[in-house]
Amino acid sequence: MSSTPVAPPPSAPPPAPPPKDTFTVSFDGKAIEVPKNLNLIDAAKLAGVDIPHFCYHPRLSVVGQCRMCLVEIEGMPKIQAACTVPLKDGLSVKTTTDKVKNARAATMEFLLINHPLDCPICDQAGECTLQDNSFGYGNQLSRFDEAKRQYPTFDRTMIGPHVVADMTRCIQCTRCIRFTHEIAGTSELTFLDRGGRTLVWTHEGQPLANDWSGCAADVCPVGALTTREFRFRSRVWYLQKTPSVCPGCNVGCNISIESRDDVVYRFLPRLNPTVNDYWLCDYGRFLSEPLNDRDVHKATVREGSAVREATVPAAVDRIAREIRSSLEGKGPGAVFFLGSAHLSNEENFLLRKIADHVGSPNRDAIVDKSRPRKVKSKTVWVEGDDAGANHQGAKDMGLSPGAGGHGLDAVIAGKASPEVILIADAAFSAIADDPEKVAALRRARFLAVAARNANALTRAADVVLPAASLAEKEGTFTNVQGRVQKFDRAFLPKPPIRAAWEHLLLLALALGFGDRSWTPHDLLRQIAAEVPDYAGIKEEELEGGRLLKKGDFAWAGRP
Amino acid sequence: MSHTRYRVMEAGEARRFPPEAMARIEKILTRYPTKQAALLPVLWVAQETWGWISKEAGEEVARVLDLPPSHVDGVLTFYTMYNLRPVGKHLLQVCTSISCHLNGAESLLERCGKRLGIGLEETTADGKFTLVEVECIAGCDRAPSMMVNDQYFEPMDAGKLDALLDRLSREA
Repeated sequence: MSSTPVAPPPSAPPPAPPPKDTFTVSFDGKAIEVPKNLNLIDAAKLAGVDIPHFCYHPRLSVVGQCRMCLVEIEGMPKIQAACTVPLKDGLSVKTTTDKVKNARAATMEFLLINHPLDCPICDQAGECTLQDNSFGYGNQLSRFDEAKRQYPTFDRTMIGPHVVADMTRCIQCTRCIRFTHEIAGTSELTFLDRGGRTLVWTHEGQPLANDWSGCAADVCPVGALTTREFRFRSRVWYLQKTPSVCPGCNVGCNISIESRDDVVYRFLPRLNPTVNDYWLCDYGRFLSEPLNDRDVHKATVREGSAVREATVPAAVDRIAREIRSSLEGKGPGAVFFLGSAHLSNEENFLLRKIADHVGSPNRDAIVDKSRPRKVKSKTVWVEGDDAGANHQGAKDMGLSPGAGGHGLDAVIAGKASPEVILIADAAFSAIADDPEKVAALRRARFLAVAARNANALTRAADVVLPAASLAEKEGTFTNVQGRVQKFDRAFLPKPPIRAAWEHLLLLALALGFGDRSWTPHDLLRQIAAEVPDYAGIKEEELEGGRLLKKGDFAWAGRP
Repeated sequence: MSHTRYRVMEAGEARRFPPEAMARIEKILTRYPTKQAALLPVLWVAQETWGWISKEAGEEVARVLDLPPSHVDGVLTFYTMYNLRPVGKHLLQVCTSISCHLNGAESLLERCGKRLGIGLEETTADGKFTLVEVECIAGCDRAPSMMVNDQYFEPMDAGKLDALLDRLSREA
C-alpha cells in the first residue's frame, strides 16, 4: 500500500466563454450592448441618444468634417468628433455636459456665419438638418452682424440634368462629393478653392449626370443641392408620405410617395438595406411626374361607330355579357386574358382566377425590356431590365398560357383568334401603341381594356375602364430578387376611377364568383393559400419585403 | 494667385504631354505608391510644359493619372502656385506677409505696379511681366522678399527693384 497520494487527474480547463460580438458602451450613463462594427453615432441612436451631425452618413466614409457630433469620452481630455471614435468595450460617452453643449453651439454659430437665413424661400426648409440642429443645439441669437459670404454666380444653377446648386447655402459637409465618388463611382463633384471660399462644383463639361444624381440632393443636409423637378413645388411639411414601391423596373426600390391634395409631388427613397438601401435611380425618382397624368376619366363603351360614356358597372356588365356569349358560342378558348407587369400580384391573381372560372387557358403577361437599371443595396448592386415592376409576380400568379392555350404572341401573329380580349392594363407594353399590333388585337370581336392614359389600344377598344394609378391603390409587387413587397395607397382615386382589382372584382361578380367585400388584403390571403411559392405569406411580414424561397431568381451585379 | 480660384480656364486647344514630359512623369511615378499620389509633381510638369494649367491641361493630367478631372480641378484650385491663366514670361511674386510687410513690401508692390503700368494679377501688354501678391515665401530673414518665377530676390529695396526690372526688360 503506497502512501503516495495519487494526484487527481488534471481537470479540463474551463470552457472559454464564447467571444462576444458586441461591445458594452454607455451613453450618458445608460449602458447598452451594440454590434462591434457600428459607428458611434448609430450606436447612440440605439441607446435613444441623438448625436447631431451633418457630414456623417451610414453608407459613406467617415470624414469628421462638420464638427457637429462633438461629445465627451471618459478618459479623453478633449471633446471628440463622435463619428470618428471607434467603438470599444466600456466606452463611456457623455453628450449632455456643458462642454459638449457649448461646443455644439459654437459649431452652429460658425456654420451660420456664412449660411444664409433664407429658409422662407429655401426648399429644404422643414427637412433641413441645419434648421433642426440650430433649433436643437444652437444659440437662440446671432452675434454676427457682418456681411455673409455669397457665391452669386454659383446659385440657382443647374449642375446636372436634375440637380440645382445654391452654393451660398453649402456647409461643406462633402456628403455629395463622397456619394458621387463612393456610391455612384462617377466622381463628378469636387471642392473648388479652399478655406472660407470653398464650394462644391463639377468639372466643366462633366455635369452631375449619373443615374442616381437625385441622391446627391437627398444626402445634402441643407438646400445647397435640390432637384429641378421638386424645386418650389411644395413646402415639405404639407406632403403626406406613403410607403410604396417604385414602378420603374423589377428592382422594386422602396419609395415614399409624397403627395398632397391627391397630387404626387415627388418620390423619395425609403430605406431598405436589402434592395435600394438609401438610394433611388433618377429614372424611378422622376416617374413621380407622369404619375399625375391621366386622360381616361370615365368608362366608355362603343356602340356601333359611336363611343359613349357609361358607368363602370354598366361597362363591366357589357364585358361579362360578351364573355358569356363567346363562351356559349365558341367555348372557353374564345376568351383571352392579358395581365400586366404594372399590376399588383393581387390584380394579376384575380385576373387569373377569372380565367380559371371561365375555363380559358388563354392568358398571358408580358414585359418590355428596358436598358438595365441598377441600384446599390447595402451589400451588392441589384439590377433589373424589365420596363415594369412586377413581371415576376404576374408569372407567379399564373398568367402564362395554360394547356392548349395561347399567349399574346400567338394572338398578334394571328395563330390564335380569340373572340373576346380583356387587357387589364392598357399600358402593359409598347405594343399597345403600335398600330399594327393593335390592329391584330382588334381582330377580336370584342376588346376591353382598363387604362389611365389613352393610346392606340384604348382608341381601338370597345370598352375602356378608368384605372387607378400606383398612388391610388395598394397591393404587392415581386421584384427581381423574388422579394414580395407591399405598397400602400397614397389617396383614393376620383370616382368613377377604380383600381384594376376593383374592375376585376366587379367582373368576377358579374360572372358569378367572388365576394363583394374582397380587398387586396383578402386577395393576398388567397394568394398565400393557393400560390405554392407564396404559401403562408402574411401581410404583416412584408415590412422590408419577404424573400421567396425559390432560389432561381437572377442576381445581377457586382458585390 | 487669384483670390477666387473657382474656374479653370479653357485654352481652347487640346493638350497632350510631349514625349519628354511623359518621360519625366514616368520617372516621377516610380517614386509614389499610387498614381494619385503623384498628382502635385505631375501638375508641375504640366505647368512647366505649357506655362500655365488650362482646363485641357488638367484633363490631360487626369488622363495620365487615371483620376477624375474634378479631382484634378479640386487640387488645382486648392493650391495657389498653379497658374490657372496665362502669365507673363516673368512672374513677379511680391511677398506681403508679416516680415516683408514690416520691411516695406507694400511700397515695393506699388512701385512695381506703377513702373510696369499694371495692377495685381495683370500682365503687361508685351506679355513679359505678371505681378502678383503672395503669402510668405520663407524669405523672412532677408525681408522684404520677392520671387521672379522660381528665383529669390532679397532683401529688396526700390533701387534693386528698378535695376531688376530694367535688366529683365532688356532681356529678349
